[in-house]
Amino acid sequence: MDQFDWSSIPNALPFLWDGMKISLEITVTAVIFGIIWGTFLALMRLSPVKPLSWFAAGYVNLFRAIPLVMVLLWFFLIVPHLLESIFGFPRGSDMRLSSAIAGFALFEAAYYSEIIRAGIQSVPKGQMGAASALGMTYGQAMRLVVLPQAFRNMVPLLLTQGIILFQDTSLVYVSALADFFGAAYKVGDRDGRLVELLLFAGAVYFVICFSASRIVRYYQSKLKTA
Amino acid sequence: MITMNKVSKHYGSFQVLADCTTQVHKGEVIVVCGPSGSGKSTLIKCVNGLEPFQSGEIVVNGVSVGDPKTNLSKLRSTVGMVFQNFELFPHMSISDNLAIAQTKVLGRSHDQAREKGFKLLDRVGLRGQADKYPGQLSGGQQQRVAIARALAMDPICMLFDEPTSALDPEMVNEVLDVMTELAQEGMTMMCVTHEMGFAKRVASRVIFMDQGRIVEDDSKEAFFEHARSERAQQFLAKILHH
Repeated sequence: MDQFDWSSIPNALPFLWDGMKISLEITVTAVIFGIIWGTFLALMRLSPVKPLSWFAAGYVNLFRAIPLVMVLLWFFLIVPHLLESIFGFPRGSDMRLSSAIAGFALFEAAYYSEIIRAGIQSVPKGQMGAASALGMTYGQAMRLVVLPQAFRNMVPLLLTQGIILFQDTSLVYVSALADFFGAAYKVGDRDGRLVELLLFAGAVYFVICFSASRIVRYYQSKLKTA
Repeated sequence: MITMNKVSKHYGSFQVLADCTTQVHKGEVIVVCGPSGSGKSTLIKCVNGLEPFQSGEIVVNGVSVGDPKTNLSKLRSTVGMVFQNFELFPHMSISDNLAIAQTKVLGRSHDQAREKGFKLLDRVGLRGQADKYPGQLSGGQQQRVAIARALAMDPICMLFDEPTSALDPEMVNEVLDVMTELAQEGMTMMCVTHEMGFAKRVASRVIFMDQGRIVEDDSKEAFFEHARSERAQQFLAKILHH
């Protein structure tokens, strides 16, 4: 351990914390939009309207068959130009964060939609029947009866997917965005202490993700007994 | 009130219902029985359009169920239905189970809906359970709540799909008592059930089905004293011995 030198970490903490804030921001926004868009995709997939169902199936299969890092690069390279030409944003404005969030949200929605579809299908069919028999429309029955039960069963899986997403945010380093991993890399590179910084970053990811998954597991056990 | 004319339904080449024709008049209690797989559950689910059918016509209170222009949700809000597995909404309290469709479908105020719910819970003897969740009640209690939930919509008729089949034997009677009371108050009812005691007590007519066909459609006296078809005689012989 003698040859390790951890001294550059304490001074770098504020910078690293800024990076962590970006990682968390990407995670939280992408989880929220991913779940919303994923719910729509799942409803389309289960819809009796064939074109909707085909679109959702195609979307899910496409995004599940390409590497995340590639999606992020596309968004980093293409989306800013699109936004510039469509909305007239000033050329060269920093859109790395928003394009990263958009990329994550669209990518993760494919995974969320499969979790949500399974969740909807796990609710007994009779529930939809009973809601319909009471005069509810399909939309009311979904919103008031089926989805609340589906989400209740799905919370652990959705959170677990969120933890994976949090780890995957480190991939935004391809766009030179200073998320937590990117910040650690930059500090290490500057001070010539790359190994120490990356070990430290790894430890932080581990602590956060491990505690989060323990919490999910605790919640899951409570759900089972309820 | 309910008219069925030559209703047929098939899954692929399997005929579930074949040319079913019958009428239910206001205030009548019709018991539908028959061996399992004879199509009796499917038949009553066609009445409120929960099961689609390919040919024939069903008219409920002047509204044609199979007509694509019919607003099925609206029709269903006037026809109460009770299921074999209760199908209470497990994520809602008992009083919310009774209130939700009243407020969202009929547009009643929250207070009105709760009040109505309490009255009906009183009637099925479960006023004290209003704040509990379905999972905390016994099967018989859940089914009585399900009946109350259907009644809360002020239905013009009630459909029962084997309401006692999923119950432990000692809970069957509490549900049948509620149904009997309902029948005696003049509610129009169509009940798929094997409870022949209930049929003898309150039925106006008995429909016997076999292989998707209505084989017997007669007064209960005629059905129990001298069923015409051999199939119905066999069925009765088996079911009445116990």
